[in-house]
Amino acid sequence: MRIELDFISVLAEWPMLMKGVAWTVGLTAVSTVLGLALGIGLAWSRVHGPLPLRAVAGSYVEAIRNTPFIVQLFFVYFGLPALGIRLSPELASIIAMVINLSAYATEIIRAGIEATPRGQIEAAMSLALKPGQIFTHVVLAPALQKVWPALVSQIIIVMLGSAVCGQISTEELSHAANLIQSRNFRAFEVFIIATLTYLMLAMALRRLLNWLGTRFLFGR
Amino acid sequence: MDKLEPLLAIQGLRKSFGDNEVLKGIDLQVQAGEVIAIIGKSGSGKSTLLRCINGLETFQAGTLTVDHQALLHHDASAMRNLRQKVGMIFQSFNLFPHLRVGQNIMLAPGLVKQTDKITAETQAHKLLQRVGLGEKFDAWPDQLSGGQQQRVAIARALAMAPQILLCDEITSALDPELVGEVLRVVESLAEDGMTLLMVTHEMSFARKVADRVIFMHQGRVHESGTPEELFSHPQTAELVQFLSALH
Amino acid sequence: MVDFSIWDIFRNLLLALRWTVVLSLIAFAGGGLVGLTLLFARLSPSKIVQSFALVYVQVFQGTPLLMQLFLAYFGMALIGIDTSPWLAASVGLTLYSSAFLTEIWRGCVAAIPKGQWEASQSLALSFFEQLRYIILPQAFKIAIPPTVGFLVQVIKGTALASVIGFIELTKAGTMITNATFKPFLVYSCVAVLYFALCFPVSYFAKQLERKVRRGQA
Repeated sequence: MRIELDFISVLAEWPMLMKGVAWTVGLTAVSTVLGLALGIGLAWSRVHGPLPLRAVAGSYVEAIRNTPFIVQLFFVYFGLPALGIRLSPELASIIAMVINLSAYATEIIRAGIEATPRGQIEAAMSLALKPGQIFTHVVLAPALQKVWPALVSQIIIVMLGSAVCGQISTEELSHAANLIQSRNFRAFEVFIIATLTYLMLAMALRRLLNWLGTRFLFGR
Repeated sequence: MDKLEPLLAIQGLRKSFGDNEVLKGIDLQVQAGEVIAIIGKSGSGKSTLLRCINGLETFQAGTLTVDHQALLHHDASAMRNLRQKVGMIFQSFNLFPHLRVGQNIMLAPGLVKQTDKITAETQAHKLLQRVGLGEKFDAWPDQLSGGQQQRVAIARALAMAPQILLCDEITSALDPELVGEVLRVVESLAEDGMTLLMVTHEMSFARKVADRVIFMHQGRVHESGTPEELFSHPQTAELVQFLSALH
Repeated sequence: MVDFSIWDIFRNLLLALRWTVVLSLIAFAGGGLVGLTLLFARLSPSKIVQSFALVYVQVFQGTPLLMQLFLAYFGMALIGIDTSPWLAASVGLTLYSSAFLTEIWRGCVAAIPKGQWEASQSLALSFFEQLRYIILPQAFKIAIPPTVGFLVQVIKGTALASVIGFIELTKAGTMITNATFKPFLVYSCVAVLYFALCFPVSYFAKQLERKVRRGQA
C-alpha cells in the first residue's frame, strides 16, 4: 500500500491560507479586546454589584460554560434571525466569541480581584478614594497581573475554537482549508498544514500576549 | 482662657466583634498638635480604637467627632471627607505594588482633590525629600527596604494634608536597624505640629516625643497622663506589670 | 406543512443525546487509559520518551479539536482504514482527552511535595514502587476534582463530532432545524440539554474540590 502525500498543491494555495490566517487573527483580536472588557465588567459586578446583578451574571457564566461553543455560535447565527436579528457570519462569530471569552474571563478575573490583600484596599480607603477609584486604580491592575497566564491560556483556547466559525462560512483558516481540499481533494495534507498553522499561531499568540502583559500591565 | 475645641472627641465608644466586646466605653479628647502614644498588651483594643477613628471599623455605641464633624458610617461621602482629614499609616506599609513610589504618592491627590499632575508631582518630590527619600521617586516599592517603604507610606499619607495622622504600630514589622529612620521622620512631623495618635511598643520614643500617653487594658483607657507620669509613676497594678514585662 | 410540537423536537433531541453520552464516555475512558500511559512516559527517566509525551501534549493543546477530528477522519482513510464518523470521532476525542488528562495528572503529581519522593527513595523503593505506593495514591486524591471537571470539556467536545457527520445532539439539532425551520427553538433546546448534562457534572466537580481542600487544611 502506497500513501502518496502531496503537500505542494496545498502550499500553492498559500494566498488563500494567509487570508484565512488574517481573518482568524482579526477575529481573535477584536473578540479578545471586547471579551476582556466585558469580563472585567462582569467580574466587578459579581464581586461588588447588587444581588440581582450578581445572580444574572452568575447565571450567564454558568450557561456559557456548560454549553459547547458551536451551539452558542449556531444560536447566534441561526437562532437570532428568528427574532428578527440578522447577522453576517463575521459579526455572529465575533459576538459568539466575545460571549464565550467573557464568561471564562469573568471567573478568572474574579479570582484575581478576590485575592487582593485587604491592606491594599484599607490603604486606598484611608486615602479617601471612592470605591470605583479603588477598583480601577488599586485592585484591577494587580489582579490582572496575577491572573494573566490563565487569561492568556483562555484567549488561546478561544482562538483555537474560532476554527468552528468556518462552519457558518466565516472566511477564517479552517474555512480556507475546507475550500482548498474541496478543490484538490488533498484533505489530509490540507488539514495537516492548517493544523500546523494553528499551532504556530497559538505559540506566537502566547508570546505576544505575554509580552503585552509585561509591557502594559506590569509596568516594568 | 476658653478651652480650645478638641480636634478629635470620643465619648463612650463601644465596639464588639460579634459577641466579643473589644472597646468598652472609650472617652478621649485630642487637641490639635497633640502627640498621643497608645500603649497596652495585644488584645487591649489599641488598633481597633485607631481603626474606628478613620472608619475602617464601625462601632456600636458612643460618638466620635473629628473637627466638629460627627462620624457617620452610612454616609459614604462624609466618610471620604473624614479620611481627607485623618490619614493612616499601617504596620504592613500597604504601598501599591503596581505603582512607582512617586505614583503611589500622587494617586490620591489626583483622584480625590483633582490636583493637576504638575502640582502633584512637585508636591510628591517635596514630600519624598521630607522623609529623606528624594532620589527614590521612580523606584518600585519592592526595591525598597521596609524602613524606606514605611517612609514612603508616610509621604503618601501626608500628600493629602491630613489634620490627624494615625500610626498603627508602624515600626513593629521592621528590622530593628530600620526602626530609627522611621521614628526620626515621625518626630519631625511632631515638631512641625502634626496631631499624632500612635499605637506603639517603642517606649523610649513615646517617652521622648509624646505629649500624652494612654495605657489601654481590656478595652478601656486604664491610665492616661504625661510620659513622665505613666512611665515613672504608674498608678495601677496592670500598668506596672505591663511596664515590667518590657524589660 | 407538518407542524412540529416542542415535544416532537425534544423527543428527537433526547434520542440523539444518547450518542453524546456514549461518545463522551468512550472518549473519557479511552483518554484516561492513554493519558495514564503518557503520564508514565512524562515521568520516565528517558529524555526521549519524556520529550515525546511533552510534544504530544503541546500539539493537542495547541491545535483546534475540529482540526484533530478532521485529521482523524481523513488520516485513517488515507492509511486504508474504513473510517466511519463513529471511529473517527472516538479516536479523535480519545487522543484529545488523553493530552489534557495527562497534563492535569502531571500537575497533581508535581504538587506532591518533594519530601515524599525523598522519603520513599530513602526507604529503597524503586521508581515504580515510589509511584505506585506513595506518590500516585496521594496524587489520585487531588486529581479527582479536575478530572471530573474535564468530563464537561469532553461532553462539549462531542458537539464538534457533528461536523464529521457523527449523529449526536448538535447534529440532530441541525437536522431538526432544517426540517422545522425553527432554529431559535431548536438550538435553545439543544443548549438546555447540554446544560442539563454538563451543569451537574460541573457542580459535582466543585463539591469534590471543596472536599479535597478541606481535607488538606
